Amino acid sequence: MTNDMSAPLRRLLSVFCALCVFCGQSLRSSEVPLLTADGFRVPQPGREFVFPRDHGSHPDYRIEWWYLTGHLFTEEPRPRRFGFQATFFRSASPLEAAARPAPAAFGHDQIYLAHMALVDIGTGRFIYQERLNRAGWDAAASTETLDLRNGDWSLRFLDPAAERMELRGGVRAEARFTLALSPLKPRVLFGEAGYSRKGASPTAASHYITFTRLEVSGELVLGAAPPVRVGGLAWMDHEFGSSKLDEDQVGWDWLSAQLHDGREIMFYALRRRDGSIDPVSTLTWIDREGRTATAPWRWEPLTFWRSPRTGAVYPQRIRLTTTDPASGAEAVFLVEPFHAAQELLGEVGGVTYWEGACRILSADGRTELGSAYMELTGYDRPVDVVR
Amino acid sequence: MLLLLRRLSLRHARLAPGQTALLVLILALGVAVFTAVRLANRAAVLSFTHFTDTLTGSSDFIIQAPAGPLPEAVLPELRQALADLAVQIHPVVESSAAEPAGPEAPRFGRRSFTLLGVDLVAAANLAGQQQAENRFFGGADPAPGSAEPQLGPPPPTFFDLFAEEPLVWLSPAFASPLPGHLELILNDRPVRLRVAGPIPRPPEAPPAPANLIVLDLPRLQGLVGREGRIDRVEFILEPGPAIDERRAALARRLEQLALASAESGSPRWFVTTPGARRETAATMTAAFRLNLTVLSLIALLVGLYLVFQALDGAVVRRRAEIAILRSLGVDAATIRRAWLAEAALLGLAGSVLGLLLGWAGAQFAVRAVGQTVNALYFSTSVAAAHPSLGEALLGLAAGLLASLVAGWAPARAAAATPPAQVLVRSAPGAIGGPWLRSPALALGALALGLLLSRLPPLDLGGGARFPLAGHLAAFCGILGGGVLASLALPALGRALRPLAARSAPWRVALGHVARPTGRHRLAAAALVCAIGMAAGMAILVASFERSVRGWINSSLQADLYVSSLGAQSAGSDNRLSPETWRALAAHPAVARASVFTAHPLVLDGLPTTLGGGDLAAQAARGGFLWIGPPPPPEALDPARNEGLALASESFAGRFRIRRGDTLGVPTPSGPRTLRIVALYADYGNERGTLLVDRVHTTRWFADDHATSLALDLTPEADADSVRAALLEGFPGLAVFTNSGLRAEVLRIFRQTFSITYALKFIGLAVAVGGLALSLASVLLDRRDELTTLRALGFRPTEIARATALEGAALALCATATGLALSLALGWLLIHVINKQSFGWTLAFSVPVAQLATLAALVVGTGALVSHLVGRWATSLPADRQE
Repeated sequence: MTNDMSAPLRRLLSVFCALCVFCGQSLRSSEVPLLTADGFRVPQPGREFVFPRDHGSHPDYRIEWWYLTGHLFTEEPRPRRFGFQATFFRSASPLEAAARPAPAAFGHDQIYLAHMALVDIGTGRFIYQERLNRAGWDAAASTETLDLRNGDWSLRFLDPAAERMELRGGVRAEARFTLALSPLKPRVLFGEAGYSRKGASPTAASHYITFTRLEVSGELVLGAAPPVRVGGLAWMDHEFGSSKLDEDQVGWDWLSAQLHDGREIMFYALRRRDGSIDPVSTLTWIDREGRTATAPWRWEPLTFWRSPRTGAVYPQRIRLTTTDPASGAEAVFLVEPFHAAQELLGEVGGVTYWEGACRILSADGRTELGSAYMELTGYDRPVDVVR
Repeated sequence: MLLLLRRLSLRHARLAPGQTALLVLILALGVAVFTAVRLANRAAVLSFTHFTDTLTGSSDFIIQAPAGPLPEAVLPELRQALADLAVQIHPVVESSAAEPAGPEAPRFGRRSFTLLGVDLVAAANLAGQQQAENRFFGGADPAPGSAEPQLGPPPPTFFDLFAEEPLVWLSPAFASPLPGHLELILNDRPVRLRVAGPIPRPPEAPPAPANLIVLDLPRLQGLVGREGRIDRVEFILEPGPAIDERRAALARRLEQLALASAESGSPRWFVTTPGARRETAATMTAAFRLNLTVLSLIALLVGLYLVFQALDGAVVRRRAEIAILRSLGVDAATIRRAWLAEAALLGLAGSVLGLLLGWAGAQFAVRAVGQTVNALYFSTSVAAAHPSLGEALLGLAAGLLASLVAGWAPARAAAATPPAQVLVRSAPGAIGGPWLRSPALALGALALGLLLSRLPPLDLGGGARFPLAGHLAAFCGILGGGVLASLALPALGRALRPLAARSAPWRVALGHVARPTGRHRLAAAALVCAIGMAAGMAILVASFERSVRGWINSSLQADLYVSSLGAQSAGSDNRLSPETWRALAAHPAVARASVFTAHPLVLDGLPTTLGGGDLAAQAARGGFLWIGPPPPPEALDPARNEGLALASESFAGRFRIRRGDTLGVPTPSGPRTLRIVALYADYGNERGTLLVDRVHTTRWFADDHATSLALDLTPEADADSVRAALLEGFPGLAVFTNSGLRAEVLRIFRQTFSITYALKFIGLAVAVGGLALSLASVLLDRRDELTTLRALGFRPTEIARATALEGAALALCATATGLALSLALGWLLIHVINKQSFGWTLAFSVPVAQLATLAALVVGTGALVSHLVGRWATSLPADRQE
């Protein structure tokens, strides 16, 4: 499978993925260049965000993504639970190519990649689809507001003032969903007010906007069955920037947890070639009001799963030890995937990764404390670094 | 029985190896011609690929405007309307190009290509592309950490697609290794394109044909000046449950959308499938291919005559032997089976050899068939005819069947031999039955043929018609002619009797001709069959050539003719941009320029052409050959002729319309109603053309490109030097002088008929071989007479001369009848078979010199091979050996 990967796409995706990574070091704005060597804008500290404009696309930056994960429940015709992922990527062409005139229907300034996945928690059936389109008649991203389109998949504001949005997605003809998403908490600007560093280089940064708790309601159509009403919770990241992943990094583990007590945890760890963890790796708590606080952490995989399709060995059940900023006491959680087989093979985009619905359990495994989505990359082979 | 077979048949074969070999060879030739033509036909149809299939596997549906392109604006509309159906929407632009001409004069028949423009970014979403061995971009990566050296330039990335230099992907069958760059003539200019790599092939998809070039859709739009327009849209349903329901729903939705927001209720597009497109291509050429197959059967038919001859001869000669076997207790059924087995063995040997020969022959035939299909129907690239099990079995069956049918009567005769009958050796028996002596049969067959020739053709659907009754009429004619020839033999013998006084060999020969055996009659009939068809074809081709000459003399009157160098076949769509043709028209040496534009059109589901031309200028030059009365003067006046059209004869035939009829024609600006005011002859293509004044088509299609340009030069200008000057300024053009184009048209014409020449000569060769075989049988039957003649003092050379005379007389009789028959067959081919298949009116013309040569050749060869057979017969031992 990995032999089929298209190298340029993998490069493209690894640029996207690199945006996951940021660090908390401050930098004076005078030290940050305005443009990268190839002419893209570099994220600046202290940027004044303007909404809903900044929910839209930023084509001056090389890369951008809108990343939705969540859990859906239905009572029709019997209680069922699903996990879903909906990702819209944008990647800008080199500026000299983009400068050449292009027909509106078949543009060449941006390429849009999208991933959709759905897992039936009851049966473990995991389905996903990837889609690639150029800017043009079948894919676009508004620069005014949140309005994304890739084929018949879309994400747009229903009500920009309330930041209420609608996701239309699906997986081939096997699933189709239309979901309305409303923030239950104010948006979070990670890093320094949405300026997040991710390396030593002054250009290594991104702007990072997240909705950590979205209420979901909508309709899910499975195959030829009649549509069912669904409801649940979702998480949405929006990041844009112009920088690349470090040479010595092979992949990362990422977790978004929504706890039943109304708080969230966002965690990522960047794995290096030598097996060590990059010091920029961070765990952030988000309290009920949406305030953030970082905390020390320990990430211990307890069990592993070997993918029969790629041979990659992914961590599965994980013990996460951290400090609860509310009490200052040690908090120990178990992160447990509902199903092992939630691997995306990257037939179109070229990156194989694991992105799956999980639950958060107490240390003894007896109490469910919340639900989560976990992302594991670079386990089949190092995520290629942009050359 | 096996033992019996070995004793009887193999001994026979061993004793007469030459005869057996000749028989096998004749059968082989028959099977070979049949198989070669079938394989070539098959290759020609297979080569019509729905090109997108090589990328997608196969689309579920295709939409295409009935005339002109579709606007890009339909794409977002389709996406919105089909959002709930989980369907991939792939717009396609298709064009053609040719390789540049060398320094010599421009010629048609250069390598031409189909350019397929698809969105190569979105192509990554095709399931087939994800399973293909290679990709458009990137390709297989070396394993991580491996220090594999990079060979050649690195594979392109998506962003290379957007760079300055256009990228193209070629079929792996194009060349190995693929070149780094490709020079092409696109429309009216040469372009140089960077080759990115081989076209990826999904596991289930047909291999990319050698003439396929894939590039990014907007690049192709830009290169051919079709920005904002697409040729068709293909739909591929995502996999999932209820696929049949979704497919039906998609078809319904597409049909509804076609009518939504369409002006005046005519659909904006029609919905079709790749299978239907292939079928259209197959039916378009069906008549042409069936005609070839029928022609190829002649050799097999002649072969059948000959197997019958040979086996029957063997029965007669070996009757005593059979009688002895019968008296030894071998029953009649065993004898019959043994003889049938012998026939089957012969058939098998002949068929196997024939299949090999046929496969080899198909490699030549395929070129000829491909060229004809290219010239008349659509662009194909027939690379090679591949052997197919089905065709091999069919060839085998045809060969076996022919030999079994031919062996049936002799086997029955053998089985009917009474035990230990003492026979008069030379009795030839009633071979061929009484039918070869029946004038009633001859006249009946000819009368039936005449009747059949009046019947209409068989409708194959899709505008293709097959003149079944016409072919049956030809068969009746051949049968009647054959019997007539056998009836004429005694008369010939009597008529030549005065010559018998000259010498003993003459007396012997004429004696035999005056009292012909069944064998003589059969040989004559077989020859008549071959000569009749060959000469008939010669008459058809000569008539065709005369008509085409007449046509080009009247229609080619301008001094120079200009088209794109890329235009290579009836399906080419390479054109001249408005800037280019205006620049040519404005050249100081040009007195007048007539512009012609061909717009592909789909009418009643059949592809055809709507032409826009300068009717008045063409008519003023005398450029139309009217079929029936000429049009009224207003039809040629652009100010008054909107709504009037001229129809080519093939158009009228295909769409069953007559002068005065009206028909609705779709155009991008809405449907138009046209009244046909005249029919004109056009031997250029078989799809048919509807011709209106170009001022109207330019407006209807919002398109000012030109397909070709006829230039009248000022009196002082020299055509050759103007041509040279134009070529220098526009290297992508094909510029013909008047005489150059005439020569080129005739060259293509002859090329188109090359396969019929080959078939004709093979048929004749088989018949002449058959004559030798017949005479050998006759002489074997007359062994006693030969012994007597030698005892009387005949020298071997005299016996040979007698045989040569006998053969020549036979050939003469058959040739005379055959030529007479060919006049009838020629008439049938021209006025019935050709007219019904292709709809072309041809003037009857007899190529006298060619027919005389043919006659002399057949009689001469007949005499020569008979002489050789006579020599061989004198060397036979006198006593019975069989």
